[in-house]
Amino acid sequence: MPYFVIKVTMGNPKPLKYIANPLRKGLAFYFIACMAVCVLTFLSSSYAGAQNADTLLSSSKLKKMSLEDLMNIEVTSVSMRAEKLTEVASAIQVITGNDIEHSAATRLPEALRLAPNLQIAQAGSHDWSVTARGFSGLPSSGGYLANKLLVMIDGRSVYSPLFGGVFWDVQNVMLEDVDKIEVVSGPGGTLWGANAVNGVINIVSKSSRETQGLYFSGATGSALYDYAAVRIGARSKADTNLYYRIYAQHFDQNSTLLQNGTTAKDAWDMVQGGFRMDYYPSKANTFTLQGDFYGGDENKDSLNTHQITNGQNVLGRFTHVFSETSELKIQAYYDRTWRNEPTTAAPFSYSLTTYDVTVQHRFALGRRNSLLYGVGFRSERDQASRSFNPLGIYMPVYSAFIQDEITISPQLLKLTIGSKFENNVFTGNELQPCARMAWTPSGMSTVWTSVSMAVRTPSRFDADFAPSSTPFQSEKLMAYELGYHLTPGQRLSFSFATYFNHYNDLRSLDQFGANTPLIIANDQRAESWGFEFNANYKLADWCHLKGGYTYFNRNIWAVNPAVLSASVAFESVDPHSTIALQAMTDITKHISFDLVGRYVDPLLATPVTTAVPAYSTCDARLAWHNKLFEVSLAGQNLLQAQHIEVGTIEISRTFYAKIVCRF
Amino acid sequence: MQILKKIAFWRMIIVLLTGSASLSAQTPVAVEYQLKAAFLFNFTKFVEWPADVYSSDQDPFVIGILGGNPFGSFLEDVAAGEKVNGHPLVISYFKNTNEIKRCQILFINKTGQYNVSDILSDLKGKSVLTVGDTPDFLKLGGMVRFFINASNKVQLQLNPDIAKTVRLQISSKLLRLTEIYTQK
Repeated sequence: MPYFVIKVTMGNPKPLKYIANPLRKGLAFYFIACMAVCVLTFLSSSYAGAQNADTLLSSSKLKKMSLEDLMNIEVTSVSMRAEKLTEVASAIQVITGNDIEHSAATRLPEALRLAPNLQIAQAGSHDWSVTARGFSGLPSSGGYLANKLLVMIDGRSVYSPLFGGVFWDVQNVMLEDVDKIEVVSGPGGTLWGANAVNGVINIVSKSSRETQGLYFSGATGSALYDYAAVRIGARSKADTNLYYRIYAQHFDQNSTLLQNGTTAKDAWDMVQGGFRMDYYPSKANTFTLQGDFYGGDENKDSLNTHQITNGQNVLGRFTHVFSETSELKIQAYYDRTWRNEPTTAAPFSYSLTTYDVTVQHRFALGRRNSLLYGVGFRSERDQASRSFNPLGIYMPVYSAFIQDEITISPQLLKLTIGSKFENNVFTGNELQPCARMAWTPSGMSTVWTSVSMAVRTPSRFDADFAPSSTPFQSEKLMAYELGYHLTPGQRLSFSFATYFNHYNDLRSLDQFGANTPLIIANDQRAESWGFEFNANYKLADWCHLKGGYTYFNRNIWAVNPAVLSASVAFESVDPHSTIALQAMTDITKHISFDLVGRYVDPLLATPVTTAVPAYSTCDARLAWHNKLFEVSLAGQNLLQAQHIEVGTIEISRTFYAKIVCRF
Repeated sequence: MQILKKIAFWRMIIVLLTGSASLSAQTPVAVEYQLKAAFLFNFTKFVEWPADVYSSDQDPFVIGILGGNPFGSFLEDVAAGEKVNGHPLVISYFKNTNEIKRCQILFINKTGQYNVSDILSDLKGKSVLTVGDTPDFLKLGGMVRFFINASNKVQLQLNPDIAKTVRLQISSKLLRLTEIYTQK
């Protein structure tokens, strides 16, 4: 069971040195860097502010677009955008479907690389680590993972209670049908509930009204060995307000390489299909029913084993709009996932069945208050074949939340306060309050600040894997954020967010004497600080630039002498600086060329991991397209033959060719 | 051609880096109306008018805008150099109802001192595609209505029956993508 083989074998417990003052010289550098970015932001804004606001789209470009394309453009007039992105009192980045199309991404984790406020590392052909604001650790031998990020696909949580992370191998969506991916860095516990500690990723797919017609794509290349996808979207003849689509896709991914140049034997394939129906019986009501099923077979590392996965889910959602200020949303879903390693010496299988129901209501109270409240119930039942005690449990979660957005001064000052209340089987009641303030001195800029508390509730791995003297507690975060959004014109926007996080009861590995068993406890504390800077510039109708710089630093210290020094690496093996840049250009009417570049700082060696050097690399895509067809050539990780992102697996330079037909 | 574009691109990069850009200074038009302009242009391709709406081959195809002009010069940019079945495409602006002249598409802007149902009944029997964006536009007898859906996208609502009565043929492609309005 490679997911949970603790690779810490030490004769004597090595207590971690107490750190008297956790904020050392890193903090000084951090503040200098913060100041520099602030100055840069203001300088560029004074320059850009002098420009006239330009039209977002050109007449020649709009003319060429199909009706479907026109219907898919979001109306982000200055005022709307002001409400949506510039006035939001949190660090949010949005990856649009168009951004994904103009990248070489073939799978969801690759598409997430387009959000500069995420730290992403590929650990193997099917293993990824995705986090925001650090804390991507090493609780396993096979994959690196982050356990403080909540990920939702169309409102369905894909965060696994097994280890508190996401199995990225089975999170596949048809990228063509992705409307947008919202990436919030920073806590979102008040709205989203437990485990939205360091961030939330919200993947939103297009409605079936927006995906009418036939879509087919096929690709072949060096890492993506073969890929085929088909989607059919149609509208009911009997009731013209009913739209639906069905899709299926299959891919084969080649193995990555070991450092000695031989294959890492982690090739895999996956087949997935699904449907979505959207029914609009009247202006006020919307029904959505969607579902997916998948099955995959993965070779697992050098152990020469393989793993089989499959899953099914169905989700229904009903939205009723009472008025512009009042809306009701009811959602229910069923989700089952299963994975099995049949051929290892010690076979392991794990199944999880989830039922989830939530009701949300938003309404205006007077002219100044917009209230949002909701209740939810989630039932999770799992079954492991070994290693957990008990092997299977029932994990009900009851939750309620309330949030009030108070307009203190119209168009100028907004305060949002709220809290989530949650009850889980491991730790009982949890409270996650938050207060956010947004000051909008002009239509083009917003200064915001927030104070929030968030918790990561115990995963099965934390609570039921190793023997424990005391029950595992929730990890608790106290977060302070300060941010700035600036939109000097319709073509240009900047955002800057900085934070200071304090973690209590962070997970630790304790050992109370040689040859005694390892205990998973809450004996670490941590402080982290950093900032995210992003820019978005539509240089011309045919050229769009996006990018950002993220800085992260932290200190982790033990509060108990029995804590093993490996505990730090268990929670955080993170780079300080990361840069992501994307350039999307339409060279002619029919040819586009896109570049995505990234830089990641080195990972320092720890007692259980080796150092990984810094790397820069880029993806490029050249495409020819007309109304019906698109042919593209793409290369990924182009700057070197291979590089390591985390661990010891080499990620190679790869190429693929792709053809797309849309009718 | 491509080479020129590439040079232009790198010149833009240099301009960006040196900060000496002078971006064109058009009056901004809300994206919503840019899209509506593009839809109006698209209707000329997805709707068929009877041949007798033209008295000669030189007769233009007219998109009329009634009331204020929310499009700026954007709709004219879209129409520049375009032809509909060989007839040059022109845009006419009518300040009020008595200025309305021969047109094939009439966009009735929501800002205007007039009664929409009166205009629609005046146009009865004429092969004019009436387009509007007020909530009750189709209820009053209009043919095409723009609205913004929950995900902030401009969508269309259509009454094909009314269009049929004045011999306008709406293509199935357009019908497939729009919400059909039926009189209750």
